[in-house]
Order: sequence, then C-alpha cells, then structure tokens
Amino acid sequence: MQSAGLLLWMLVLFAASLRSSEGSDPETPSTPDPRKADTLESARVSGRTNSRLLGQSDLAKNTTTNSASVTPSSEIPEANLADFRQLISPILNQSCLPCHGPHRSEGRLRIDELSPDLVNGSDSERWREVYNAVGNSEMPPEDDPACQLNDKDRASIVDWISQEMSKAPIAIRDKTQPSSFRRMTNYEYRNALEDLLSVSLSTANRLPQEIASEDGFKNSSTLLQMSAMQFETHRDIGLDALHRAIVFGNRPEPVRYRISMLDQIEKPSASKKKAKNSEFFDKDDNDYEKKRRGRVLLNLETGQGLPFQEGSASPIADAIGEGFGDPSAVVLVVPASNEVKWNLDRFLPDEGIMRVTIRAGRSNSNVEQHAALRLIFSAHTSNDANFSQVISQRDIPIKASVDKPECISFDIQLQDIQRNPFRKLSTTFPRRDEFLSIRNVSNAKGQEDPLCVWINDIEIIAPYYENWPPKSHTDIFIPSSSVSDQAVYGREVLSKFLRRAWRRSVSPTELEPFMDLLAKYRAELPSFEAAMTEVLAAALASPEFLYITQRNTSSENDSAPQTISPIELASRLSFFLWSSIPDETLLDLAEQGSLSDPAVLAQQVDRMLADPRSSRLADTFVPQWLGIDGLDSVTHITDGSLKESMRDEPIAFFKEVLSSNSSCLDFIHSPYVVINETLANHYRIAGVRGPEFRKVAVETSVHRGGILTNAAILAMNSDGKDSHPLKRGVWMLKRILQDPPPPPPPNVPEVDLTDPEILKMSLKERIVDHRNKPACLSCHSKIDPWGIAFENFDAMGKYRTEIQGLQVDAKSLLFNKQELDGIEGLKRYLLLNRQDQLCRAMVDKLCGYALGRPMSSADRTQVDRITLAFRKQDDRLGDLIQLIVSSNLFKSR
Amino acid sequence: MSGKNALWKRREFLQGAGIALSLPWLETYAKEHPEQSVTPRRFVSIYHPDGVGLPLKTDPAWKDWSWFPRGGERDFELTKVLDVLEPLRSEISIYSGLSHPAARNVHGHSNADQYLTGATIGGNGPYKNSVSVDQVYAMHIGEATRHASLVLSTNGGIGGPRGAQTQSFNSQGRPIPAMNKPKEVFDMLFVTSNKDAAARLARSKSALDLLIANTKALNRELSSHDQQTLQQYLDAVRDTELKLTKAQKWIDTPFPTVDTKFLTLDAEPKEARLYFQTMYELIYLAFLSDTTRVATFQLGRENGEGPHDLLSLAVGLGPAHGLTHAVKQPDGWKNLGTYNRYQVEEFSRFLHRLKDTSEPSADGNMLDNTFAMHGSASSSFHLSRNYPILSAGGKNFGFSNGRYLKFGRGNEDNQAGAGIDTDSGWQGKVEVEELPLSQLFVTVLQRLGVETDSFGGATGTLTGV
Repeated sequence: MQSAGLLLWMLVLFAASLRSSEGSDPETPSTPDPRKADTLESARVSGRTNSRLLGQSDLAKNTTTNSASVTPSSEIPEANLADFRQLISPILNQSCLPCHGPHRSEGRLRIDELSPDLVNGSDSERWREVYNAVGNSEMPPEDDPACQLNDKDRASIVDWISQEMSKAPIAIRDKTQPSSFRRMTNYEYRNALEDLLSVSLSTANRLPQEIASEDGFKNSSTLLQMSAMQFETHRDIGLDALHRAIVFGNRPEPVRYRISMLDQIEKPSASKKKAKNSEFFDKDDNDYEKKRRGRVLLNLETGQGLPFQEGSASPIADAIGEGFGDPSAVVLVVPASNEVKWNLDRFLPDEGIMRVTIRAGRSNSNVEQHAALRLIFSAHTSNDANFSQVISQRDIPIKASVDKPECISFDIQLQDIQRNPFRKLSTTFPRRDEFLSIRNVSNAKGQEDPLCVWINDIEIIAPYYENWPPKSHTDIFIPSSSVSDQAVYGREVLSKFLRRAWRRSVSPTELEPFMDLLAKYRAELPSFEAAMTEVLAAALASPEFLYITQRNTSSENDSAPQTISPIELASRLSFFLWSSIPDETLLDLAEQGSLSDPAVLAQQVDRMLADPRSSRLADTFVPQWLGIDGLDSVTHITDGSLKESMRDEPIAFFKEVLSSNSSCLDFIHSPYVVINETLANHYRIAGVRGPEFRKVAVETSVHRGGILTNAAILAMNSDGKDSHPLKRGVWMLKRILQDPPPPPPPNVPEVDLTDPEILKMSLKERIVDHRNKPACLSCHSKIDPWGIAFENFDAMGKYRTEIQGLQVDAKSLLFNKQELDGIEGLKRYLLLNRQDQLCRAMVDKLCGYALGRPMSSADRTQVDRITLAFRKQDDRLGDLIQLIVSSNLFKSR
Repeated sequence: MSGKNALWKRREFLQGAGIALSLPWLETYAKEHPEQSVTPRRFVSIYHPDGVGLPLKTDPAWKDWSWFPRGGERDFELTKVLDVLEPLRSEISIYSGLSHPAARNVHGHSNADQYLTGATIGGNGPYKNSVSVDQVYAMHIGEATRHASLVLSTNGGIGGPRGAQTQSFNSQGRPIPAMNKPKEVFDMLFVTSNKDAAARLARSKSALDLLIANTKALNRELSSHDQQTLQQYLDAVRDTELKLTKAQKWIDTPFPTVDTKFLTLDAEPKEARLYFQTMYELIYLAFLSDTTRVATFQLGRENGEGPHDLLSLAVGLGPAHGLTHAVKQPDGWKNLGTYNRYQVEEFSRFLHRLKDTSEPSADGNMLDNTFAMHGSASSSFHLSRNYPILSAGGKNFGFSNGRYLKFGRGNEDNQAGAGIDTDSGWQGKVEVEELPLSQLFVTVLQRLGVETDSFGGATGTLTGV
C-alpha cells in the first residue's frame, strides 16, 4: 500500500509539473488546510469568505464586463500556441520530422505543415490521428532508434493535444450560435397534448428517442431533429389524442362489474378453484390468528373465514348508479406482498378509461406499517404462455381505518395496456379471459401483527365518463349561440383551439386555410365534429405547435441583442417551469402586455412554482442534469422498488431545496437527506416508514447528505460488481464541476487481469498502474482523484470501511497537491475552495435547460452576472429561478 | 384533389378514417429506385411450431426418425424425415447448433415470438419484442415493390404475447398481423384497389398542402439561422408528400396478371396439403410478379389448437401438437417424423417451383436469387435449443449449398436433450455450446445487401456459411 501511495504521489507531481498553468485552484487566495475546518457546515461558512467572485464584486465594482473567470469552461477558448512553440514543436521536429517532413511524408502526413491551432485551424482531425498514434505508442516505430520518444515527451504531446482538442467543441458551439428556436422534446410534446386536451396519453416508444447534449440535456435545440418518420408519428399521436378528447354520438353504455365480498362468501363456488380449499374456518380453530391474516374472505362479525384463491366476476346488467351501499361485515383480506386476482372474462371494451374503485381499510392502525394498492393486468392464453403488467401509474396508499373504509380509484386507459388478443374469438381456446389483480405493496411482512388491507367492495366501469359529453370534448366544442351556423361556429372553435395550441392569438386570415380544409373534409366525413377533428389534427402537426417559435422582430443586420416578444416569453416560461404550453392566465397577461412587468413576472413564477405542473421541472431537469438514465445501463440493481427509489431520490431532494428556497450548496452537503423507507433501509437510517419521500435530519456519521452520496449516483457509476472510481470522477467533473475531461482515446489498453502482479493489487493500485501509461496519464490525473474519494461506497452505494478484508483507502491527491480524504474530505474541499465554481455550474446548467441551448462564451457576461447575484442571495435555488427568469438572457433570442 | 363529386361517391369508405397514414410505409412506388435495376434478391422464412423428433441413439427409431442428418458436411445422409429433399440436395444447407441465447431456457410453447427477432422475451411478466430479420430487409428493399413484405400464417392475426401467430415484428417490436385466407391474400396482391386508402391519401395531401403553406408563412418571420432549423421540418413534410405520391402511383398502377391454375383460393387448413400448396403458390406468384421480395409463413402456432392441429390430417394423423407429447407411444417418433416430413415435402415443392422458373429479368432461376429458410425454435420436446433449420437457394448472392453445417461444440451427434418428453428437459442446464442464430441472420442480411454487423443482440457473421 505504501509503495502504491508513493507511486501515486509521484505521478501526481509529475502530472502537475506538466500543467504549470493549472497548478493552483482558481479561487483560494490563501489556500486553507481542509483538515482544519471542523465540520462541513463551518467549511461552508469559511468557504464563502474564500469566494473570489464575492470578494471581487466588493472590491472592484467598476469592472463590469471583464470580471475574472470562475471556471475553466467560462474562458473563451483560445489555442495554446505558446506551449506548442516552446515545448511541443521541438519534440515533434526531433522524433517525427524525419519520416513526416519535407524529406519523406509517410502516410501523406507533414507534421511541420499541420496548423497548431486546433481551435480554429483545419487540421484537428489529423491531430487526432497523431494523438492516437503517439498516445498508444504506435509511433514513432520501435525499430527506429533515431526517433525514439521518452515517456515524458510522449506525455507532453498527448497532454497538449488533448487539451487543445477539448477546446474545439466550445469554439464550434460559439461559431454556430445556437438558438432557442427548437422542436418540443418528446416529453414536452406529451405534456402539451395532455394539458391542451385534458387527456392521458402513452407515447412511450412511439417517437424516436431524444439525444442528450454534452451537458446531458435533451431539450438542446441543435439536437432536436425532425424526420419524415417523426413527423408522421406526431400526426398519428395528435390524431389519437384528439380521438381521446372528442366523443361522437351517444354516451356509450359502460360495462360494469360490482364485486361485494358478502356475495363472494355466500356463494363460495364462484370464488374458489379447488374444492379442498373451500373449507370455512372460525374462531375455534387452533391457528385462527394466523389463518385470518392470510388471503381469506373474513366475516368480521362472526369471525368466520374462507380461504380465497381467485375470484371471477361478470358484468352486471342493471344500470343502477355508481357507488356502494353501506359496507358489509365481510372483507377480503389482502396480506402484505399478496395479490388477489379476479377473472373478468372477456367483456372489457377496447377503448376508453377503465375506472377501478376499491373500498378498503387497514386491519390495524400501527403507524410503523403502511400499505398501498397496485393493479396488475394479465392473461393466460395457454399453458405456459402468459403475460402480465402493472397498469396503475402509482400505488395508492390505504389510510382509512377498517370501521370507516375509504374508496380509492384508478383510471386506466384501456387502449394503452396489453390486452388479450384472443378475447374476441368465437372458440374457447386460446383462452379469452382477462385478469385484474390487486396487489398490496407494504412493509408489513414478517411483523408481529402484520397490517393487511381489508377490501369490502370493488367496482369496475369501462368506458368511464365523469360527465357526458366530457370536459375534454366541451373544451374544444365550446358552448355557443352559433352552433347551428357551421361557418361561424367553425371559426370560434378553431380560433379558441389554435390560441391554446399555438400559444398566440391567430388572425382571421390565418384561419381561412383551416376553414377551407374543414369544408373539404366536411364533404367527405359524416359529421362536423369528425371533420373538425381532422382539421385540428393538422393544426397539431404544424410547426406552430411542434416548435417553440421566436419571431424575428427586427432586421437581420441589426446586431443589437434581440429580445423575444411577451407572448414568446409566456411560452419560454411555461416550457422552463412546466415543460409544457402556457395556460390561459399566462397568455392573457402576455397579450395585455403586463407579463413584461418585473413584478408581474415574479408573481407568475411564484404562481407557476406553486402549481402541480411545476413538479415537471424537477422531474425532467434533475435526471438530465445528473444523467440518471445511467441507472438503466447497469444491471446489478435487481430490486425494482429500490431502483425506483434511487431514481427518485435526487428529484425529491431538488424539490425540497427548491420549495424551501435553500442554498444550492445543499447539493454538495446538507445535514439532512430526503428519503423514503426503502432508501432508509438501504442507508441504515432508522425510523423512516412509508414509500413517500420526506426530509430527515442525519448525523455526519451516516455519511449522507447532499446528492453526491445518493445511491443512484454511486450505483450507476459502478461496473456492476464494484465501484468505478473513473466513472465517478468523470461524473463529478461533467455534472457538478462543469469541467468535462476530454473523451478517452480509442483502443484504451485494458488492464491485464491475467497478469499475476496486477491481480495482487487493490483497485486503487490498479488504477495507478494503468495511469502509469503515458497515453492515460494526462486525463487520469485529472479524473481519478475525484472518484477515489468515493471508495467508501460500494456498487450499490452502501457505505463500507473494508474491501475484501482490506481497509478502504479513499485518500487521493488532486494534481494541485490538495488531498481529498474520502467523501467528507471531498465535500470539505469543495465547500472550502470551489463554491464559485459549483454555483456557476448550477447557473450554467439551469440556464442551458431554461433556454434549450448550451451556454456559449457570448452568454458569459450574462451568466456571470446571474451567478454573482445568486451568490449574493446566499445561493438560494428558488431565488435562482427568479434571477434567471428576470435576466436579459432569458428574454434574449 | 379530384373534385367534390368524386369525393361524395367515396363517402361510404371514409367513415372514421383518419388522415394518419398507415399505407405509405408499406405501399410505395419506386420506379426510380436504384435497386430495381439489379436482379431482385428475396427472403422467405417458413416457421413450424413444436420442433422435431430427436430420439436417443439407443432408441430403435433413431436411425429413421431423427430429424438431423448423419455424417459430415458433404457426405451427410438424410433420414426418412428429410429424404424428400434428396433431389434438391445440392440446393440446400442444413444447420445444427444454432439457437437464440436469450431463449435457451424459455418453454417451447412461448418461443416462436423470438425466432426471427432474437429478443429477450422471457417466459412471463411484461413483454417486449424487437424487429424481425425479414422486416429489416423489408425496410431496406420495400420501396422497390408494391408490398414491402407478405406476412402469412395458418392461424392468422398476431396471436398473443409469447403465443405469436406471425413471425414478423416491426421496428418497434410490434407484431405484424399475418393473413391466413388465400382469397384475401390473392385479392390484396393482385385484385383490390384500395379506394379507402386513396381517399385517405387525398385528404392527407390537402393537410400537407396546408402545413407547407403554414410553414412558409412562419419561415418568413424567422431569423436565417432558425429558418435552417425549420427547413428540416419542411423536408420531413416534403418526404411525406413524396411517399404519398408514390403510394398514389401504386394505386394507379395496374396489377400484374398471374396464372392462377395452381391456386385453390377457398382452401382451408383442414385440407392441409391443398392449403399449404395454395399459400406457397401465392408467395411464388408474389415473387414472380415482383410484388414483394420478402415473405414469412408460419405453419400453426405453438401449443397447438385452432387450425394448427388440423394440419396433421394431411398425413392421416391426430392433432399436430399432440404428436410431440406422444413420442414414447407406439410409433410415436415415426408419427412426429412423418408430420415433419410432410412439412418439408411441401417446402420442397415450393423450392422446385422456384428452381424451375427462370428469373424474369435476369439469367438463372428464381431459387438462385431467393434465400428460403425453414425451421423451428425448438428441437426436442419444448426445448428451445439446437433449432432444426434448413435453407435453400441464394446461390447468386453468396450461398453455397449441398452442406450439413454443424456449429457449436459438444453436441456433434445432436444428443443433448434428445429423447425427452417431460418439462424437466427445457428447464435443464445448458451443457453444450451453441452459436447465436442471429449471426446467421447477420450473414443473410449482409448478403441481401443490408449494411449491418449486428442483429438481435449478436455481432458478426456465422463463419463457414
């Protein structure tokens, strides 16, 4: 271990010497010793005094435009030609020129003719070849003693090229001047249709998957492509959505099942499969206490019970109203992690909403235990051929006591679930029936008095309509005195619909082509509604719906920064905070002109953040920011509910920080976590019960707090068996520090696991060994220390102190000689020395997301300005949203 | 648009029809398509459920009724199951040691779905499939013909998850319904002009016109940079318009005239020979007239019942699926072998048809330009391993036949899982090494002209084919 540590030390020194320009931290006028700060909280306080940004703003208020850079990424990238001339060119001339120079030009490469400017020059592709050949030690050829390259020179070349290459994307980004004019993302499109039409949609897998930008964002304008396939899919989905919203003809007679447990126990033959299980039991039985907690029908008055295997139900003919009478004394007991299955035969309709209402209560009131219900749909088409799927969107908790059972309802869109394709056969094989199972999702298994769910009644109605015609229909076909005059009424319907869909008022001239289309379709289709439906589908396929537009209000040559119109501001705001179209209030305010008023704007932000739709901000921003999709690329998390909880944790944490308007530095460390019971068990934190997330104060000794130690982050940056310090390091640099490393060279040499010397090494030692290769050194010395500091967390994100009997070694050195001592050391270092960088990264990421384009160096002044204001307001997340929305950047085109 | 009167007449066809397109992806016209100038390359896959007979060597039935041949690559000896192929010996290849890795422990009743896809469909729970190999080729070549592919099965439709009644799955992994009524297939291929589709196309055209005008209006108000972004949308609409035009041209193009003398369009599965011959003849005619270049035909469904069980009537035997369960009964192996023999016999009749017809637009015969495969996703009883597969033709695009090709290791005599008739067989541990069938599909796709190096989770081609 000691020798490995020494080697690491040497390598780091070596790396540092190669990067004289990066030898010290960007901030920290006088570097404090990280070990001296007692707690992470006090580190945060002293770190604030180290802020160069805040210090500068106090000292030099006059310098507005040329404020010092906060992070490397905010610099306008320029080619480092000085190093080339002094350091690189002499090496190249000595080792490469003989074969790639004026005398010979092997591979048609003249090394002396390549432009050393990789940022703006035209030879960056050839430099990549040089980088690969030299980095992989393919060049110079081993058999030519005259041209040999020592490791130090090789590292210098590789290091310089990699640094220069990493500048190029930023330069290109600047040249192309990304715009915020873009297509909606798939998720925005779905939200927009759902909000516009008041329907629920399943667009999963129908549209091609979105590509994420380098920053991880899927709403990045340049990456949102359009193809014929995509366009046609949009048309299909748009029409499908309209068909869900609009109804034709008379109210359809629903299929209705009503299952009373009293009936079930009275005619047991209907509810059991095997006669031997049909035996009633009662209080006199020896194991009565055990039996009554099994999956049974139970009469609460008499105590008599009957084991329950599987129920069957047939639609009822009489159309009596909805709802149940008084609850009977008979309940169906569903123990924890159990399912009760009902055969519904083959009568459910193809389309529409299936409403499942369950009246149920809890068998005990023990607050330590909880239970929720989930629906599963299945069919068993032949022996050994079956399928099943969870059809409920979320589990619904059962909270009522058993003497006052409550009704809970699930609404399931029947055309979106896998149905039994044989249900309409006239023959009886393959089987035509379909099954609905109700599952009790609970933590009560194995408890002394385990909580059961007691179901009194079940009602199933399909298709279910709350009103007829439904609101979704009357929102489009609005009540009007001109209904009978289709030319007038058509215009009314269209102009109302288009205003919402296109997020702006539409002029009468613009309506004309749609009225012409309506007339054309009306001649072919059976009703005004049918024709209008297809016209509206065309409107939903228009770029005015699919794209977030920004019109050019001034002339092309006008070089002054241009701003978007108030009505476009309404859209930008709603796509930022709601991932969807604006509502009537926003449109009204925009059209009255008052949305430009800072006070009104701020008020609207508050209103929107209080609206349930604002949940989408966290739901979409956080996974993209942190790259949580990475969880889908690892296979070692086999517990589905744990994986879901992992996925949700950073989102819940963000929501907590946002709603309490807390500091963004809470993301680095907080004296609390936001978890549910599943994660509490995973983290060994006591006293958290139930599936919902909540804020829980924690001691430093649990090594949690902030998002860096979220199980999702640690687990997705693992290799399936163990932690993966490299992945974790890259993740830190990309997602948190906004200082992404260059991409790895191709043909990275694999660690040779057949080498007995290597097998003896610890993971950290292997990394050091791997890093020893010149092709790898330059990047790894930048990446690895960040990842090694996480070594106390295993592949599942659990805390550990030992790995296979050896004590965990989570100490690492940054190339500027700063030591990171495990996760606490890393957090302390960041809080003490990197607050400006962390905050600027947060501003940069949120601005990129808000505008739907990556920030370029042209935005730098604006981003710096927001960062300064943000820092001055104690880095509060809620304030940051307001600062971004009120900035000139947010209004710029 | 052709005036209001014409539209009024079509009114009865238009009830409830959306402007969304379902046809153009399938029915496209490609007079200008570069592929048409070269000799067509065709792909057809025949699937039979229930696998084949695989007795133990010690069983007296082994010599005559084991499906796989005996002997080496060139000197192989066909058993009674495949001896009907003897006259076509130089035109066929027989494969052993191939299967889809993800399904090796899936019950035989559930495995047909993944035969042409290689997807991990599992044995229960949520279900997801992926694109089938025939559809990959159909996407590549489909624009050259009136129909991108012809999907047939005896049972028709899509079946259920893990109970497919079609071999073909689209790019989203959704099953493509199979046709099973000869009359309907014939009408679709050679008779019906789809008036409903024509009206829908016309309506779609009007909507696209409006969108193009709408887009141009918006375009005028954008910066030049944003105009470039919008150009993509405009291109997408124009591509769609082009598809409509092509689809319209197919509607306007007269159907080819075909010789119907071998067709019995009212044949039903209970007259299995006649039915098979008619369905094969329809594929043959579709190929001959270049109406499509891709076809799949599934003979029954896993786990029997419905039309499937009637197919064995052709050789005077009881329900087809039951034959696999009754191999240990007197004459059990013989009965199953006889049924398999009859399947191959009908396949060979189809191969002869192709071989005896010269390629309409080029030299050689049609078989040389067709890759025809015949197989199942189980070998022995419910066992999803060592698929019994044979192929024919394809000589003009790289297939050299007359060979018995053994892949994998440890099962050279096809005895792994032989002789089983209980479910402990398919659940058993995989003891021998087999290669992914998807590698054969990569080989096939590459030779058909599709540039790809992977399919269904497998990378690379199958060496030695």
